[in-house]
Amino acid sequence: MQTMVETRNLRKTYSRPDGSTIEAVKGVNLEIQQGEIFSLLGPNGAGKTTTISMISGLVEPTEGDATIGGFSITKQSMEAKRLMGFVPQEIALYPELSARQNLAFFGRMYGMGGKALRRRVDELLEFVDLADRQNDRIDTFSGGMKRRVNIAAGLLNSPPLVYMDEPTVGIDPQNRRRVLDTVKLLRDEHNMTVLYTTHLMEEAQELSDRVAIMDHGEIIAMGTQDELTQQVGEEDRLEFTIGAQEIAEAVFERIQGETPGVTRILFNPPEQLDEDSSVFAPALLTVFAKRGRTALPQILQELDSAGVEIQSVAVREPDLEAVFLALTGRALRD
Amino acid sequence: MRSILTIILNDLQIFFSQRGNLPGLLVIPVLLTLVVGWSIGQIGGGGPTRLRVDLIDLDQSGMSAQLIEDLRAANDTLVLCPLDNDAEDFCRLDDEPLPLERAIERARTGRTSALIVIPAGYATALENFERVVIDYYSLSDPLQPGLVLQSLNAVLQRASTASMIPGVAGALLDNVISAAQLPPLEGETRDGFLRALYLRSQQLLTERPSPVSFRVADSDGSSGSVLDNGFSQSAPGMGSLYVMFTVLGGMSVLLRERRQWTLQRLMALPITRAQILGAKIGVYFTLGIVQYAIVFAVGAAVGMEFGSSPIAFLAVMAAFVLCITALTFALAPWIKSEGQANGLVLLLSLSLAPLGGAWWPLEIVPEFMQTIGHISPVAWAMDAFHDLILYNGGFRDVLPEVGVLLATAAVLFAVGIRGFRYE
Ligand SMILES: Nc1ncnc2c1ncn2[C@@H]1O[C@H](COP(=O)(O)OP(=O)(O)O)[C@@H](O)[C@H]1O
Ligand SMILES: [Mg+2]
Repeated sequence: MQTMVETRNLRKTYSRPDGSTIEAVKGVNLEIQQGEIFSLLGPNGAGKTTTISMISGLVEPTEGDATIGGFSITKQSMEAKRLMGFVPQEIALYPELSARQNLAFFGRMYGMGGKALRRRVDELLEFVDLADRQNDRIDTFSGGMKRRVNIAAGLLNSPPLVYMDEPTVGIDPQNRRRVLDTVKLLRDEHNMTVLYTTHLMEEAQELSDRVAIMDHGEIIAMGTQDELTQQVGEEDRLEFTIGAQEIAEAVFERIQGETPGVTRILFNPPEQLDEDSSVFAPALLTVFAKRGRTALPQILQELDSAGVEIQSVAVREPDLEAVFLALTGRALRD
Repeated sequence: MRSILTIILNDLQIFFSQRGNLPGLLVIPVLLTLVVGWSIGQIGGGGPTRLRVDLIDLDQSGMSAQLIEDLRAANDTLVLCPLDNDAEDFCRLDDEPLPLERAIERARTGRTSALIVIPAGYATALENFERVVIDYYSLSDPLQPGLVLQSLNAVLQRASTASMIPGVAGALLDNVISAAQLPPLEGETRDGFLRALYLRSQQLLTERPSPVSFRVADSDGSSGSVLDNGFSQSAPGMGSLYVMFTVLGGMSVLLRERRQWTLQRLMALPITRAQILGAKIGVYFTLGIVQYAIVFAVGAAVGMEFGSSPIAFLAVMAAFVLCITALTFALAPWIKSEGQANGLVLLLSLSLAPLGGAWWPLEIVPEFMQTIGHISPVAWAMDAFHDLILYNGGFRDVLPEVGVLLATAAVLFAVGIRGFRYE
């Protein structure tokens, strides 16, 4: 397999108006192979957009470089940019123009014109299923429709590589499904390489051939999903949602000491959502255990006898969430 | 180059597809041009308040000097060239002498409001009560005498009428002396007496018709009285004001393009940053020229004058628009919000325009205000437009103003291009 994207020690330091600086990306090394969907998974603020901005030539790296199909993005940016399509996290379209006008404009910017351009625009409108609304202004579209045009605009030059930065943010489940299917279609039928960023574990899980988990500007784990989940071992994750209750430390010690297979316990105490009201986010108790289903009855019993009110229980097999939790001690979604 | 044009066309399409932009581009400036133009025309303040008048004194006598002095006193808006030329070369002589042929040419082409030629022998003729012809050249319609002709008229009436008194008195004196068999008066005494008579009578007499006749050059009438047309002030003035509104508005558009990520999408395309910047500059330059064109088209429809050098006129338009475009890009990096941008557009347009004489001619404000006014690029543009419209100037005459505008543009562009925020 051929390497499509390679980054070497990419680093970006932003300076804030108050004079302080923030290291948004702290030396990222990635290698994305031709024909794979590669996900960059991490919570908001992890540095995903900054990374993508550097390897698409939007932002100059403070340090390091990246090559696209062998061309340096800093030194041979024209050649590198011709190989890539870009679907930004924002709806980067002119709201005053129609879907068709937007696509035609970006197509002309790639040097296309005449019949070839018209055909390509038709094709893409068909691909994102918006042929019937092609002459309506973007600002009359729903969020999901805008997202789809945004994707089409990144595919105009039929690039071998496309970057998609959180393309499902803020859309309904139906449109999300459509986007995810589209991404798979790009790989499976168009043989494209996709770099996909998301903060949603499920999306990374469904799509990716390989995943890099990012946090605080660093890649903290990288590999296929199997390779990553093996890092956290064979442990299942038992998640107990608990009412607005504190639990005594002794209860944890008893569970850990007496239940076979239990290795670790994390407790996120209840959080008061509103200062003036008594609304609490429920507490979350996470127990890591080998053969989780076997351990479950005994843990339930311990909690019951300690007077803990359980709202729900879930047994999760090793997944990317578990990897993130194991590596950072935090849940991905907060 | 093709991608630059594509971006410019696309941005213009977006600009014109926003209905909200049209009143500012079309309706309001056109209305203001008409209203301000008509009201200036009504009060007769349309012309410049300093008139460039060539005066050639072939007589070089005390009498001719007196005439010149009277002319200055009669109308202090007249600048008699080359005598009263100032440090800024208001006369536009370029340090060259002003022989009769050149002066005639200047009057014929409208570069001066008028040429007055005092003939050799003027003093002698007056003293001898003879007829004398003062040549007056002007494009103004003699049936609707302009300021210069009116002033000259008044002065010459006095001069010629006064000249009759010593003429008559001298003859009477000689007659009386010979009839009364008195000793003849000495030459000097007689002259002194007659001169005193002349000066006294000149003070007293203003009403008598003049024996001095005028010859008016090239009064074909078709050029009309350029001084009376208020649109010559209002169209360039309002045009410049709205060029500022329209072009400076680019600050908030640049901000919005970064916020809505279309600027970033452009940067992910295989085009250089210089091409993107060049295209954005091209967009606002084009909009500025379109704005001027709209206002001047309306001006043309209501009879505004454009002078005789379209090239020079276009050069002034382009230089001013370029200067304001550069100002837009120099300020853009400092702008943090669209509200801030819109506030700054209003502040700049509404201060630089009146300061630079967009609403009223700068000549009517005190001298120190004129000096301060030239901080504003509008002042330089208005000076140049006046040179072209009112004095029929050519490219050479507006070169200083165009130069100042272009130099300012260069400095501002250097600031703007260095500070342009791509990220
Ligand atoms: N232009 C910028 N100026 C200053 N800080 C920035 C800028 N862009 C991003 N950051 C900061 O860099 C960090 C990473 O941001 P980003 O790359 O957008 O993360 P993600 O896409 O993973 O949510 C954040 O802390 C963010 O506030
Ligand atoms: Mg992001």
